[in-house]
Amino acid sequence: MLHVENLTKVYAPGESGGGIRATSFHVTAGEFYTLLGPSGCGKTTTLRSVAGLEEPSSGRMTLEDRVIFDSSTGVFVPANQRRLGMVFQSYAVWPHMSVFDNTAFPLRMSRGKRWSNTEIRQRVTHTLETMGLAAFADRSAAQLSGGQQQRLALARALVAEPRLLLLDEPLSNLDALLREQMRSELRRLQKDVGVTAVYVTHDQSEALALSDRIAVMHNGRIAQIGTPQQIYHQPGNAFVATFVGRSNLLRGALLERDKDGNARIATALGPVLCRAPTVTTGLAPGAALIRPEHIVLTAIAGTGDASLNRFRGRVSQVAFLGEATECVVQVGNVEILVRGPAGQYGGSEAVDVFFPPERTLAIAVDEL
Amino acid sequence: MIGRISPPVVILLVLLCAAIVPPFVFLSYSSLHYLDASGAFGAFTFEHFAAIFSSRTFGPMLLNSLVYALGSALLALFIGAAQAWLAERTDASFRQILYVASIVSLGIPYVLYIVAWLLFLGKAGPFNASLQYLFGGTTPYINVYSLGGMIFVEGLLWSPLAFLLLSPVFRNSDASFEEAASVCGAGLLSTLRYVTFRMARPALLALGFLVFIKASESFEVPALVGLPGSTRVLTTAIYQKLTLDIPPDVGSASAFGVMLLVVMAILLQIYSRVAAQTHRYQTVTGKGFRPRVVRLGRWRYAAGALIVTIPFIVVVVPLATILWAALLPYYQPFSMKALPLLGVGNFVQVLNSPSFRGAIVNSLVLGAAAATLVTVLSAIAGWCVARRVAGSRLIDTLAALPLVFPAIVLGLAFLEIFVHGGARIYGSLLSLVVVSVVAYMPYGLRYAQLGVIQIHPELEEAAAIAGARQTGTFFRVVLPLLVPALISCWLFVFLLAVRAVSLLLLLVGPDSQIVAVTLFDFWNNGQIGELAALGCVWTAIMTVFSVAFLIVARRYQLPIA
Repeated sequence: MLHVENLTKVYAPGESGGGIRATSFHVTAGEFYTLLGPSGCGKTTTLRSVAGLEEPSSGRMTLEDRVIFDSSTGVFVPANQRRLGMVFQSYAVWPHMSVFDNTAFPLRMSRGKRWSNTEIRQRVTHTLETMGLAAFADRSAAQLSGGQQQRLALARALVAEPRLLLLDEPLSNLDALLREQMRSELRRLQKDVGVTAVYVTHDQSEALALSDRIAVMHNGRIAQIGTPQQIYHQPGNAFVATFVGRSNLLRGALLERDKDGNARIATALGPVLCRAPTVTTGLAPGAALIRPEHIVLTAIAGTGDASLNRFRGRVSQVAFLGEATECVVQVGNVEILVRGPAGQYGGSEAVDVFFPPERTLAIAVDEL
Repeated sequence: MIGRISPPVVILLVLLCAAIVPPFVFLSYSSLHYLDASGAFGAFTFEHFAAIFSSRTFGPMLLNSLVYALGSALLALFIGAAQAWLAERTDASFRQILYVASIVSLGIPYVLYIVAWLLFLGKAGPFNASLQYLFGGTTPYINVYSLGGMIFVEGLLWSPLAFLLLSPVFRNSDASFEEAASVCGAGLLSTLRYVTFRMARPALLALGFLVFIKASESFEVPALVGLPGSTRVLTTAIYQKLTLDIPPDVGSASAFGVMLLVVMAILLQIYSRVAAQTHRYQTVTGKGFRPRVVRLGRWRYAAGALIVTIPFIVVVVPLATILWAALLPYYQPFSMKALPLLGVGNFVQVLNSPSFRGAIVNSLVLGAAAATLVTVLSAIAGWCVARRVAGSRLIDTLAALPLVFPAIVLGLAFLEIFVHGGARIYGSLLSLVVVSVVAYMPYGLRYAQLGVIQIHPELEEAAAIAGARQTGTFFRVVLPLLVPALISCWLFVFLLAVRAVSLLLLLVGPDSQIVAVTLFDFWNNGQIGELAALGCVWTAIMTVFSVAFLIVARRYQLPIA
């Protein structure tokens, strides 16, 4: 559907926005594809390049097998000929037009098909109905609330059946409750309409909840591409591990690796046994990753000598979060974040920390 | 898309170059060449400059210019800031009067305003007469034809604009800064001193500097107030070279002009640095923003009295003086025995005279034509500059260049162009329109640019994604959203174009008489009755425009200037 190959955009010094370097990915039809990353990572630049609002420095992009950009042949299809839908961060709802006129605009501008007035009326009314905005059709767009403007922006993006729906942090301007509501609505709508969507966000929980696949971006490059489960459970490198979800990262040298995919890493706590499906052999710098919710805390087992992946520590801080409790356990010089069911520990007790080897992952540490 | 300059931008650049480069060329060329009596260029020379620097009057003249500009700036700033604070941050009575008075004063022609003060404060005016009545004596107590008089009139002339420009500064400052100060134990005066005015300081400084620049290039007050008392500044020196010397000493005048240009360029450079600082304390915040109103308590009525007094001095006194003069067949100071002489004879004469009616029509046509052209050009140029299309930096620089020309110097430069360039339009209304467009383009551009900046770029990008072409986007999205800014731009340029004398004084011909210049000639000929009557009629017409301007600007929350 959308193929992006070696896309590079270099900004002149002083210009705002993060550049991108040799970014490649492809989006399949009907997919909800998310570009996730911190601000300045180049995700918005990538999206705007796909939209045709920015001209990349080099690379190639095809949409439905037609080239929309190719630096080697000088092809650049401008934004207004790409037949896309886009929802902007600011919604960009035109305040001087009514809700109806906002929605009808893409149909009136259509180059391929000439829409008659009755067709436009039918189509716009239908789209506004799906968005729950039918009652507001004649109202000025400036009178809508934030959530309604959001839905109007979506209606305008979808009305002309775009080949691709682009969404640039569309939920970031909404308050928390409305954001969750819109999130599930967005997902349902995208599947109902069957449109392919490329979504940009810096919010990892949004990305995990909405996407079929996620491309995590960092410093203008794609750090990892995968399903939400892959991204969360098998982060390809330390950046992805720390950016998506919370994690304990114990750095150290790789000691050994067997053919079943198990590895031992020499961490500050001592050797840690973990799974290593991706790390290559050799004593490359690496880290053991364990999510706070996978750590098992137990009262001191009595004997006192540490067994495999079991370390003795002391609870130093406890935070009650309602559905769970988070505590920081001081093990030697290292602070380990542990998340568990509520009410387990009160604080300042000696405990044993256990990293289940099947839940502990050896990952490469790219020097950032 | 990037690096290629689009055809509209090229056209715009060519137009701007054609309008802006020749004045520089002709002015500097004439300042460096001998000119014969017919005005033809002779040999190259530095003599014009040498003569200026060796003249003994040059030093005092510079000092006069400096003191005059500084004094006017301080006076305007003081009155303006006091009004703005009272109107925006306190619950003083009668606050609305300040707005009404300022707006009315925007429509009063400079000449009329100055003449009113000359009549009021002059040797035989009511002010000196009252002082003589109170304290005895027969000699006048004050001489308005002095540096002090110049500062007084110019300062008052700028105070309404200072007020209008400062009131948003006070309106937009968040009350929590002041509340924080009072929680810390500061009283009203300490809060004012350490917080309110400290935070407004960058804006005050920038505005003061602006008035300083405007006063240094002003011509009307120096000509009408300064020259009779032989207080000369740079701008009036140019005028005298052209009108007193026979044949007109164009070379010397041009040399003066070039020097003024250099001074202006330096001042504007400093100003842009100062103005860039204004945003340092930008305090408008989205959430929970509300400007607090200071409760003055017992002082409320004292402040109210002050609020009534300022507009009384700034607007009512000059207008009343003019009305008095307009109703008398020949001018005499206010007295009971003059009352029976009052009549509307001057008005009848002015309104029946085809030449005066012509001047009114010419002024309106000139203002409307210049405002329309400036607005159209500004809309396109302003969009290019705000959206940083290729070539926009050049547009920005070119369109801002006329700012370095004091009006009288730009008039002189165009006079030379029309005389030497063989242009047949000299003295025609068309020539006045061209000159006005060049002179007021920087203001128009500024307006349009601010208007475009308020339009979120994503609104345009959304149109592109929806399939609209560049032109479609401009006409269907940008222009409708820009309309309020453009209306207010039009009115502002209109008011500027019809108000000033100095720009067009050297250029009007018999068929292109305009009101502002006619008023100036009346004063020089001593026709005070006609002057006052024409001035009253014109002020009434202009008030309609200035009120419209204020309504549009407030309705759409646009900056006043």
